[in-house]
Amino acid sequence: MSRAWKLPVAVREAAPTPSAVQQSLSLTPTPVRRLWFCIWLPNLPLEACHSSAEAMGALAIVAEQHGIHRVLLADARAAAAGIMAGQSAHAALALLPALRLEERSLTREQQALEVLASWLERFSSFVSIAGENVLLLEIAGSLRLFGGLKHLRQKISAGLRAQGFAASLAIAPTPLAATWLARAGRRVCVRLDANLGSALRKLPLACLNWPAGLCESLTGMGVSSIGDCLRLPRAGFARRFGAEYLLELDRALGHLPDPRDSWRSPERFCADYEMPEEQSDRELLRNICRELLLLHEQFLLSRQLGTQRLCFSFFHLKGVATDLRLGSAVAGRSAERWFELLSVRFEQLQLPAAVIAVRLRSGLSQALQTETAQLCFSGKPGVQKRRYSIAQLAERLIARIGEQSVHSMAMVAEHRPEYAWRTQSPLSERSASTLAAGQHRKRPLWMLPEPALLSVDSGYPLHRGCRLTFLDGPERLETGWWDDDSISRDYYTAVDAVGMHLWVFRNRRQTPSWYLHGFFG
Amino acid sequence: MSLEKLLENPRIWRGSSRVASQLNRQTGLASGYPKLDRCLPGGGWPPAALTEILTAQYGIGELRLLMPALAKLSAAETHTDATEPGWIAWVAPPFQPYAPALQQYGIDLSRMLIVRPKDDSELLWSAEQALSSGTCAAVLLWPDELDDQASRRLQLAAEKGHCWAIAFRPLAARQQPSAAALRLELQSTGQGTRVHILKSRGGRPTVLNNLLNLSDRFL
Repeated sequence: MSRAWKLPVAVREAAPTPSAVQQSLSLTPTPVRRLWFCIWLPNLPLEACHSSAEAMGALAIVAEQHGIHRVLLADARAAAAGIMAGQSAHAALALLPALRLEERSLTREQQALEVLASWLERFSSFVSIAGENVLLLEIAGSLRLFGGLKHLRQKISAGLRAQGFAASLAIAPTPLAATWLARAGRRVCVRLDANLGSALRKLPLACLNWPAGLCESLTGMGVSSIGDCLRLPRAGFARRFGAEYLLELDRALGHLPDPRDSWRSPERFCADYEMPEEQSDRELLRNICRELLLLHEQFLLSRQLGTQRLCFSFFHLKGVATDLRLGSAVAGRSAERWFELLSVRFEQLQLPAAVIAVRLRSGLSQALQTETAQLCFSGKPGVQKRRYSIAQLAERLIARIGEQSVHSMAMVAEHRPEYAWRTQSPLSERSASTLAAGQHRKRPLWMLPEPALLSVDSGYPLHRGCRLTFLDGPERLETGWWDDDSISRDYYTAVDAVGMHLWVFRNRRQTPSWYLHGFFG
Repeated sequence: MSLEKLLENPRIWRGSSRVASQLNRQTGLASGYPKLDRCLPGGGWPPAALTEILTAQYGIGELRLLMPALAKLSAAETHTDATEPGWIAWVAPPFQPYAPALQQYGIDLSRMLIVRPKDDSELLWSAEQALSSGTCAAVLLWPDELDDQASRRLQLAAEKGHCWAIAFRPLAARQQPSAAALRLELQSTGQGTRVHILKSRGGRPTVLNNLLNLSDRFL
């Protein structure tokens, strides 16, 4: 069902064998009715030109044809001055010296189409980009949700208008028929296969988008509409003009299947903001970042996703782009929160040159964990409403001073003092400390990162030149053969001349020596 | 004008504000040292305010003095409300706070947040963030320098986030003005540690000898 047939015409029209009938009866219960919504954007080159909205002057899009720049499209103001498609650029400038000419950019058009396609994904699960300026939606499944064809059509056309696109819309049971109807500018809606033939028959050849040479020879034969084409003998038509055009007609009429590629919007967000000229105003750049974050929020919102990593790239005219990476402990999409994180980092950002464009890319997106709101408000007096959660605070701190510099702590079941604890992320799941307190003897509140060697005076350890007085000890801690860091130490609590309480040990390995390991703060 | 009305005038400062201390009674965080609590106006550490502790050296009991109150804060609220219990932030500690010892004092380790900023401006920023976040119940900080303006900012942040701020400073800071609600000076004497209350909002300067004895350290 989904494969396009490339069978000779004669075979297709032969009567099906009984076995094939049985097979088709058993395999296809009921044919799925489809309805295609076509959006044709004739002015896309003009509309995709990003500066058209801001500039006040007349604008025309030019494209190179046979080495000459010719006008492809002119906006309303230019058209009023007599500028038409097909004129050379010089002729157009002679007519209207203030005219702005822009080179056609296919990549920009493609981007505009993709933006539209991802917007259209809210109306249908099947959106297809068919050609340079055609978008197709399969809407049979969406009719009930959007309250009928009329409402759906109104919603889409209002949305297109709001985004500044002039579109021609048509609805038909096959994608090609819908496309042709839209190109012909017929605002029609064909819902039934039975009406398809009569709707198509009247269409002129121009809307088929066939090669000019083919159309010319058809016109020369007196064939001016699709209906005339269909009246020609099939075998002769295929021999003369090529079987593909005949197949196209069959697909449009629904005699042959016409599978289409479904367009999927990318899973990762990536958007650029290009500026007409270089900017170094940081406040302006911050606002651009904010706008990009708002777009990003919308992107994730429509997918019910969040992300943990973002990367801003600031492009300069020369040299490599400056990257600013943001990380968040909890997946999120809120533009406000990301903006807050950005602001913290933006202050410190060094931009080597003025910026011409900003790009925002998001990292892998993931499903958001939603929180259940409480039914009852906690009306307890005296309970402070927390402004931030710890995650937000930790994120802000990490964003400014680095991940290694912010941590929490946990206990480890170990007798060696250095290994008896570990750092852990403040955001990791809190594991209830199962180790009972008091299984060790008294431990100091302050630990030195490394034990410090103490000088010795006739066998007694010295601290700041004074002998220590021992208060408690020894406590012998030994072994650690399992990780090659075996110890053998006698720990003492001692007090020095100024009253500092120290935790010192005598290393019993090799030559005995004294070390300071911590303070009783 | 009656005397009560006159006393209500906020411009009147009362040196020994017995009235004020009666008003503030039970608003302080019990320090765990009854002798100290009696000398503090709210009957304990001033909550939502900056406390300064001036010491000549570490290791004379400056942390031990805080431990009972911190232990209570880190465990508080767990059963009373759905909101998170308070975190305790350590901003730029001079050494590593040792987890087993903290646990021995009954502190919930999973509520510790150790922050190691690179310089003093980051330190003050981090402390201010932690104080005003409302997530932390207490913020301990060890600044190299803390001028009058910075201490005022910390004091305001502490009020905003309803958080207890404790700044550890060298003895030389005694001469500098500070916005702290409470200033203590700790000095080690032969018998134990002497606590000198230099400034106490709503209280009066006092000297407490041998508040921390050697025996305190052993459980």
